[in-house]
Amino acid sequence: MPSFFKHLKKKKNSENHKESSQDQPNNRLLGFIDDSISINLDMIKQKTGNSSDVVIRTLNISPHSEIKTAVVYVEGIVDTVSINDFLIESIMKNHALQEKLTRENALKVISNNVAALGSIKLVSDWEQLLLSLMAGETLILVDGTNEALSVGTQGGETRSIEEPSTQLAVRGSRSGFTESIRTNTALVRRIIKNPDLWLESMKIGEVTQTDVAIMYINGIVNKKVVEELRQRLKRIDIDGILESGYIEQLIEDQTMTTFPTLYHTERPDMVAGNLLEGKVAIFVDGTPFVLIAPTIFIQFFQAAEDYYARFDIATALRLLRVMIFFISIIGPSAYIAATTFHQEMLPTQLLIAIAAQREAVPFPAFVEAMIMEVTFEILREAGVRMPRAIGSAVSIVGALVIGQAAVQAGIVSPAMVIVVSITAIASFATPSFAIAISARLIRFIFMIVAATFGFYGIILSFIMMIVHLCDLRSFGVPYMSPLAPFSPKSAGDTVVRLPWWALKQRPPFTSNENNIRQGKDQRPQPPANRGMVNSHTRKSDQNES
Amino acid sequence: MNRKWMFLFLMLTGLALTSGCWGKKELTDIALVSALGIDKNEEGRYVGTIQIINPGNVAGGLQGGGGGQAPSITTYSATGDNMVEMSRRASTKISRRLYYAHTNLVVINEELAKEEGITKIFDAFDRDPEFRTTATIIIAHDTKAADILKTLTGVDKIPANKVIKTLKFTEQRWGEHMEVSIQEGIKDLVSPGKEPVITGFRVNGNAEQGKKLENVQQSALEAILQADGLAVFKDGKLVDWFQGETARGVTWILDKIQGTDININWEGEQEAIAYQVIRQKTKVSANMKNGQPKISIHVRAEGDIGEVMVPVDLTVPSVLFNIEKTLEKEIQKEINHAIQRAQKNQSDIFGFGEAVHRSNPKAWKKLKQDWNNVHFPQLKADVTVEAFVRRTGLRNKPYFSNMESNQ
Repeated sequence: MPSFFKHLKKKKNSENHKESSQDQPNNRLLGFIDDSISINLDMIKQKTGNSSDVVIRTLNISPHSEIKTAVVYVEGIVDTVSINDFLIESIMKNHALQEKLTRENALKVISNNVAALGSIKLVSDWEQLLLSLMAGETLILVDGTNEALSVGTQGGETRSIEEPSTQLAVRGSRSGFTESIRTNTALVRRIIKNPDLWLESMKIGEVTQTDVAIMYINGIVNKKVVEELRQRLKRIDIDGILESGYIEQLIEDQTMTTFPTLYHTERPDMVAGNLLEGKVAIFVDGTPFVLIAPTIFIQFFQAAEDYYARFDIATALRLLRVMIFFISIIGPSAYIAATTFHQEMLPTQLLIAIAAQREAVPFPAFVEAMIMEVTFEILREAGVRMPRAIGSAVSIVGALVIGQAAVQAGIVSPAMVIVVSITAIASFATPSFAIAISARLIRFIFMIVAATFGFYGIILSFIMMIVHLCDLRSFGVPYMSPLAPFSPKSAGDTVVRLPWWALKQRPPFTSNENNIRQGKDQRPQPPANRGMVNSHTRKSDQNES
Repeated sequence: MNRKWMFLFLMLTGLALTSGCWGKKELTDIALVSALGIDKNEEGRYVGTIQIINPGNVAGGLQGGGGGQAPSITTYSATGDNMVEMSRRASTKISRRLYYAHTNLVVINEELAKEEGITKIFDAFDRDPEFRTTATIIIAHDTKAADILKTLTGVDKIPANKVIKTLKFTEQRWGEHMEVSIQEGIKDLVSPGKEPVITGFRVNGNAEQGKKLENVQQSALEAILQADGLAVFKDGKLVDWFQGETARGVTWILDKIQGTDININWEGEQEAIAYQVIRQKTKVSANMKNGQPKISIHVRAEGDIGEVMVPVDLTVPSVLFNIEKTLEKEIQKEINHAIQRAQKNQSDIFGFGEAVHRSNPKAWKKLKQDWNNVHFPQLKADVTVEAFVRRTGLRNKPYFSNMESNQ
């Protein structure tokens, strides 16, 4: 992977440059916590702008009410029940312990004997204190100490695990990722119960402080990819990360392309499957979409169900999807080319039928196709973003505009409506929205080329598209692999999917260390005489075969 | 990197602009020529008749309302000293660019074929990249080519399609005619060992009435395009028309029979048993004997009994054997008729010369010169026929066989 190192080299240079500049805005050295609790509480109030959701509960915890204590948390992002039950209540009612309390050992006693919560740590600098407060932890401050306790009480309302709204499967897991990164990583952990499933967390986003985690299976993953990914993530210096799309755009190999070089999915089983192939998953808090790197082109045609269905069905569906992709790219352009350049290629009867429809249409085929395609894109865009309540209105109007009315008005021909419909359905049938959307864009380029050069142009731009695809890389992995460069060992899971027992190896381009994924002779070998009942005969038959 | 992309971008933009939609032709700007007819006027100039499809009236459907109002085709005529001139001059009358890629039929005037011959006509079709040499040629029999093109047809609304499909299915079902494309015609014209045979078509009925829309608005059409005879050529000129069984003899030898009906006499009854050929194979081979070429034709036909008009028990093997023998004689007769007639015309339409060429190239070199005039007419042809009855249909004895024995 020569390009891999090239990228590395480039990155290092830019990184050094970045780091030096990074320090300036990051320079928020607020110092350390004061001894006095009132100064500390004032500081918190000042720093949070007296926000109304920051709750400061002051308590007196010694029997003589000498030691002033405060519990600080942000309402809504904490688990209020556990704060009330395991922190405040324990502190107030634990009389036996309260007697041991002094100013000096207060924090120790609380953390060791009182706070019945899992994660707890001592913090002494303001920056970390405020960050953990904002991350949903609860702070316990005691008068007279220059440290504070930060208790992990993250909680609050999150969406429950639901069926994913994209990438549905008839057969397969029904759970989809949620907005909570913890839930998401847990969903994958539940599938891969192995200590080698490693998770690395970091916070990205100067302002948003978004949790980002990378997950991989140690021993299968290509370490270079993980290292490269770490580097690229560290490089990111941006105010906010609101969705994994931010990360995707900041770490992808090639920006000037319509093809996505990172895969995103909402399905935990999909992530697990990719991790087993030696890829790395990138979780971002606040989005159900998990990124997968490195990504190859054929991945966008793989649905989770391909691996659950038997191989013949899966292969047929794969081929269908590849065909669908081509239809959604060259559907309208083939129509334009055939009707304006290569009439000789159509059967006479078909040509007459199309010509009859075109007689009344005032536009050239290209304009006609453009009108219909753009109309359809408008409709789709409206359908995606509109309030649900108006949805039916748009679909009615849309059906009229794109269908009957446009034909009857003599603006478009029925054949064109069919072509646009097929193309539209094809682009919806692509299992990955990311590739469907790029096909949508490319389609227009193809249409223009078809209107200029006919099939010659289509073929020419097709070749250019293929060349471009071969040029792409995702974390050093050629985008078109294992087709180009061709590697027969991993080509079994591309446009075809071989039966599981034939997929002995993991794709070599993603997993370098541990390539064998199954034992020998995994092909089922039932006894030849079908004597299922008698186990003795069964054994001997197996030996014979 | 950037400069490279910039360069590529500029190259592509340049390429796009220089082309200027090269070769673009909108469907509404082209006239689909379905058939082309060639006549000759008194001045000796070619008169081309161009049959153009009115798509709206053919497809009907949403726009036209079934094409009841206007004919499905329009014809235009133009004169010229050659095909190209004629075609170009036609543009003075037609609002669209003539588009020949879907021309499936070329009709040639009988007089033209007799007097001037068809040898030179096909060059334009052969040369033009748009024109397909797979187009079928027919000869207008007893009529002008223009009349064939102008006649409106019933079920298949485009006359050119009607003619081609008629030819195709009569070739399959009846076997007296055959479809000859331009490239086959040219091949036969060029070959010294074979002369072309082209199917003739006539307007059966009132040709004037056939041009009117009323022709297709009635159940019995007043003018029907009908396959009629095989035109036999010699040196590119039409010399004779073969009809009926003689014509079928030709298709037997040329191995073009896909199915036909042969009637034989049985026990004194004329044409009493109908035999439907379902497949056949004809092999023509040549050998030299005493310096003279000799042709052997072997026909192997298989078929079913389709109809029996006399009480005959088809379960008896000897009966079937006799039927087969009679059939063989019948087929042999047809073939011999065809050979004799062609020998009289001194035109080797069967490709016997090519057979001689294949079997004995050296001898062919000598024979080639006078093949049609000297050697072919004297040629001895040995015809052997094998006919097999494969099935007798759903019954063995006809239902009336018991009736007659009761009487």
